[in-house]
Amino acid sequence: MSEPKSDPVIQVKDLYKFYSIGSNRVKALNGVDFTINRGEFCSIVGTSGSGKSTLLNMLAGLEKPSKGQIVISGHHIERLNENQLVKFRREHVGFIFQSFNLLPTMNAVENVALPLTFRGISKKTRLAKAAKMLDLVGLKKQRFHKPTQMSGGQQQRVGVARALVVQPEIIFADEPTGNLDSNTSAEVMNLMKKIVREQNLTLIMVTHDNHLASFADRIFHIRDGKILKIEDNTNKEVLNDEEI
Amino acid sequence: MSFLDLLTMSASNLWRRKLRTCLTILGVIIGTTSIVVMLSLGFGLKRSYLKQVESSGGLTTVNVYSGNDYYYWGDEDSSSTEKIELTDEVIDEISQMEHVKFVSPILNAELILKQGVYQCYANVKAMSYDALEKMNIPLEYGSIPTSDEEVRFIFGNNIITDFSNTKTNEYYWDTGELPDVDLKGDFFAIYDTDAYFSSMWGDSEGNKVQAPKKYIVSNTSLVSGGVDEYNEYSYNIYANIDAMKKQLKKVFKNKAIPGQPTTKSGKPYSYWVYNEAYVQVDDFNYVTDVQKAISDMGLQAHSNAEYVESTQKQFSTIQMALGGIGSVALIVAAISIANTMMMSIYERTKEIGIIKVLGCSLGNIRSLFLMEAAFIGFIGGFLGLILSYGLSAVLNKVLARYAGDMFGTGSSVGISYIPLWLSGLALIFAIFVGIIAGFLPAIRAMKLSPLSAIKTE
Ligand SMILES: Nc1ncnc2c1ncn2[C@@H]1O[C@H](COP(=O)(O)OP(=O)(O)OP(=O)(O)O)[C@@H](O)[C@H]1O
Ligand SMILES: [Mg+2]
Repeated sequence: MSEPKSDPVIQVKDLYKFYSIGSNRVKALNGVDFTINRGEFCSIVGTSGSGKSTLLNMLAGLEKPSKGQIVISGHHIERLNENQLVKFRREHVGFIFQSFNLLPTMNAVENVALPLTFRGISKKTRLAKAAKMLDLVGLKKQRFHKPTQMSGGQQQRVGVARALVVQPEIIFADEPTGNLDSNTSAEVMNLMKKIVREQNLTLIMVTHDNHLASFADRIFHIRDGKILKIEDNTNKEVLNDEEI
Repeated sequence: MSFLDLLTMSASNLWRRKLRTCLTILGVIIGTTSIVVMLSLGFGLKRSYLKQVESSGGLTTVNVYSGNDYYYWGDEDSSSTEKIELTDEVIDEISQMEHVKFVSPILNAELILKQGVYQCYANVKAMSYDALEKMNIPLEYGSIPTSDEEVRFIFGNNIITDFSNTKTNEYYWDTGELPDVDLKGDFFAIYDTDAYFSSMWGDSEGNKVQAPKKYIVSNTSLVSGGVDEYNEYSYNIYANIDAMKKQLKKVFKNKAIPGQPTTKSGKPYSYWVYNEAYVQVDDFNYVTDVQKAISDMGLQAHSNAEYVESTQKQFSTIQMALGGIGSVALIVAAISIANTMMMSIYERTKEIGIIKVLGCSLGNIRSLFLMEAAFIGFIGGFLGLILSYGLSAVLNKVLARYAGDMFGTGSSVGISYIPLWLSGLALIFAIFVGIIAGFLPAIRAMKLSPLSAIKTE
């Protein structure tokens, strides 16, 4: 499989994020530069507190950078106001949460259909689309289950379906398998990878698990708010399997 | 998001917290009811007052009295202005005025009516056929007397109580029993009352005097309504003025007619002078104008207009005070809405964050919360209105008697009255209060950070 390297979908230049707590100044991100191309699956790994979530949140437009540029599909998102950011997310971004974050009052289909509601899609169409998406993640039977009536793995698959249903260009996932056991994690990872490949989506995933990171095409190693190295995994897939 | 989606989403959010929603709605119900019922008391007061005024002389009526025959009201200086007599000429002049619907002279004739042992001292108001017709006197039976027939009466529905038994000298008010008078039957009318009294007790010198002639009056009409009901015609006896004049001339021949001025030598004038005239104005708003114009002619003019207006103003003040008291409950309800919304936003911080990450626009989030608050206002206002109508009905039932005593009106007019526009306004106001109360919470929800969705507790 060969990626068209000439089609960058995310460009990050000289990105900084500072938090000041009292007189303390925490450098959560300390000068980050990289480019991600369309259809790539990238994982971000690093120790706890290294700045992975901070980076992801900024890419998704949930937090403002202190300094630097983030260009996604041609939009300088560091320049957008909150209203525009919501619109940007609605049109370009899907999000998978670590704690699933399904709405407890809604069943699986309704949860998946929710982002379509915000796009003003009619009830009939959005429920049909959501049902199709649930089939794709293998939850045909659990369609009308409430989140509390599903296992963690099933809930996260609903989460994946919800992120995918709006057909976003980019999917962000912050430790999507953090609350799952290793077998279920692998299942969910394979599912995500499969769909992302099929639909040529860009997936950016944060994890602190090296094994899960190795599902990705490229692995960004972060420490103390800086990129330590970017590991190209496409040619080493065989090698990785041997290592395990 | 479509409007319908917003609506169902906010409704289902309210439904999720049924108990709390109900309690908040209860507050709005109480608030709306207290305002509406308080205001309804004011409207009831005004309405029953107007009804009362209407029944005791009308709102568009101006009563005119000749300048010198009647006692003066307040203005002592009126003695300096030229006083004129109410003659046909003057009546004509008044009828030419703007906004005067019609005018009729009133010729007062005092006479004695007799039937069997019963007798009545009657003060007959003789008016023109046109006036009697246009006054729209509700008749139980009979017709308006015309100029071409013999003198014929319209009895007020309370006139029967004026008959006394000549044997026992007892009235209805003494016995509590209606006199056995056949109102449809014939009456003897005695026009020359002076002669009648002289014939009974002797004249000033104690000589016997021959009893005056009696005339038969029949085919009397009756104003509709029972003896207990009261309207502006209840205590009057009406007759046709032309027939009455003819009759009086016949009775008194060359003598002076009682009530008519005479020359120094005691000879009657060749024309009629009335001491009263009845003027109808076409609209309540012009009554004071017409009244003023008539006074400027040197006549006495009276109407209810000024009195009614100032009383209505007083009632408005009372009503505002009542409304103010009622609105306290609604203010408390508004605070409770704001409190409920605030709590639900704290509880749903994460949920709000999630829908924000999923692309729900800020405007939609604000609308969601405003709609929830408006819903509370709407439901509370609606139920509050139903309660208000119920309460108003109960008040009218229970207090009808007291109200009747207080204002002297019949039980037909309640103490509490909710005009339709008030209920519409109250509903809109309740929704508006909900929206105002929900405004700050909604802004707060809108400004919540989407990051709250990601942070795991
Ligand atoms: N809102 C905040 N205020 C202050 N400091 C913060 C805030 N968010 C993150 N930080 C700091 O920024 C640094 C990076 O945090 P971040 O959440 O990105 O770490 P992480 O790599 O995602 O760690 P983990 O693997 O534990 O999730 C940390 O030192 C953290 O203390
Ligand atoms: Mg993290």
